[in-house]
Amino acid sequence: MDVIRFYRKIFFFVLILAVASPVWAGVPTEKIRETTEKILSIVTDPDLKGAEKEGERRRLIREAVDERFDWKEMSQRALARHWRKLNDVQKQEFITLFGELLERTYLNRVEDYSGEQVTYMNEVIEGEYALVEVKILTTKGTEIPVNYKLRKKGGDWRVYDIAIEGVSLVNNYRVQFNDIITKSSYEELVKKLQEKVAEK
Amino acid sequence: MTKVLLVFIMFSVFSQPAPALSEREADLPMPLKCTYNGPKGDAATKGASYTEETVDGCARFRVAQGVPAGKDTEEGALRDPFADRDKPGADKPLDTIADPLEPINRAFFVFNDKLYFWVLKPVAKGYGAIVPQGARVALRNFFYNLAFPVRFVNCLLQGKGYGACDEMGRFFTNTFIGAAGFIDVATLTGNFGKYDEDLGQTFGSHGAGPGFYINWPIFGPSSLRDTVGTVGDAFLDPISILIDPTEIIIAVNALDLVNGTSLRIGDYEDLKKAALDPYISVRDAYYQNRKSKIKE
Repeated sequence: MDVIRFYRKIFFFVLILAVASPVWAGVPTEKIRETTEKILSIVTDPDLKGAEKEGERRRLIREAVDERFDWKEMSQRALARHWRKLNDVQKQEFITLFGELLERTYLNRVEDYSGEQVTYMNEVIEGEYALVEVKILTTKGTEIPVNYKLRKKGGDWRVYDIAIEGVSLVNNYRVQFNDIITKSSYEELVKKLQEKVAEK
Repeated sequence: MTKVLLVFIMFSVFSQPAPALSEREADLPMPLKCTYNGPKGDAATKGASYTEETVDGCARFRVAQGVPAGKDTEEGALRDPFADRDKPGADKPLDTIADPLEPINRAFFVFNDKLYFWVLKPVAKGYGAIVPQGARVALRNFFYNLAFPVRFVNCLLQGKGYGACDEMGRFFTNTFIGAAGFIDVATLTGNFGKYDEDLGQTFGSHGAGPGFYINWPIFGPSSLRDTVGTVGDAFLDPISILIDPTEIIIAVNALDLVNGTSLRIGDYEDLKKAALDPYISVRDAYYQNRKSKIKE
């Protein structure tokens, strides 16, 4: 009898786990989902379609992205040891430039949206840090793993890095920035950033 | 025989100081739904140092005792618990791949860039205009399915029995139910995991470093380790085993390349648009992607 009860208990427990698993998602995942859905609703909004609405569309997406992405922390991480050599004015200038570059890249990607599906795979929270794992299924049938790294600041979770197929954006820029600074100078890096942002 | 020799040479050439066992275990991928049992509250939020240890294959974080908190606020030394070996504290050397051949690599980068924009892209675009996308996806699936022996053997060489089983399952499902591999039934039904293993990853999983970066003309980004791996994998590639005249092997591989490119048009352009130095960006993306694949 006891054995049966025991097994029943296990069975029940497994059942609960199976039922409960879709709702494990925590706050960081919710935040990513919220921002993703907000952006998708802008991109798919029939009232915002067309080239003449591009300005309006981009402004709305930019707003949604700005509240989720922490450009300052991204800049700081991407510059790494070179960051502390800058004064406050330089830091602010860099944050603006780098933020614009990232935003532009991101906007271009989002504008190409053609019905990709987003699946939320996993979430790991470590203190004030969180990792949200997402899988994007493209219309061509390829799966792209995307990891969002977030940090809790002032009660809100904000993204400080994105890794696509294991390639961290911040690391990728860190290596480029370091190469430019060590081979020429920080001023040269700013010049290149300005040129890049001005590029259409 | 050649293969065994190859593996042997590989190991004697590349046996870089392998990380201590505990460190290597810490690199194990975190399984899905692994619960976090580490520091909560103050210790964690103050940015105190931590070490990783593995219990039951689950990475858990533990706060190191007696490490001054608040290191986190120091500019340039931001903590990232989800980066490899990104321990807090002093400046660590930039984690990147050695590139002693940079001048040659850069020359070939320019060459490959021109090859892409002047030859490959126009050809792939023309091809894409004639062949509908569905057919191209099917052909890509077929080529991927055909390369099953490479993934299967490398799963075994890495001791991934489950991976070998899943790859076997995928292969039989797609070959017999998915019309000779043209339809990726295994992914649609979601019964089997995908294990895209190759010999370069096998070497890496046994502790071999990448050596240095090589940007091959035509073939593009690779490393010393992965170049040897690619050559080794060719011994398991059905296309080069089953097809006889070299000309046809090249033609089939060219079709695979054009077909694959037609489904990826725009990726390289996006990367170039976002990069300040496309060469460095591609090199780092290659390095990071390989590293994450080896960790998986």
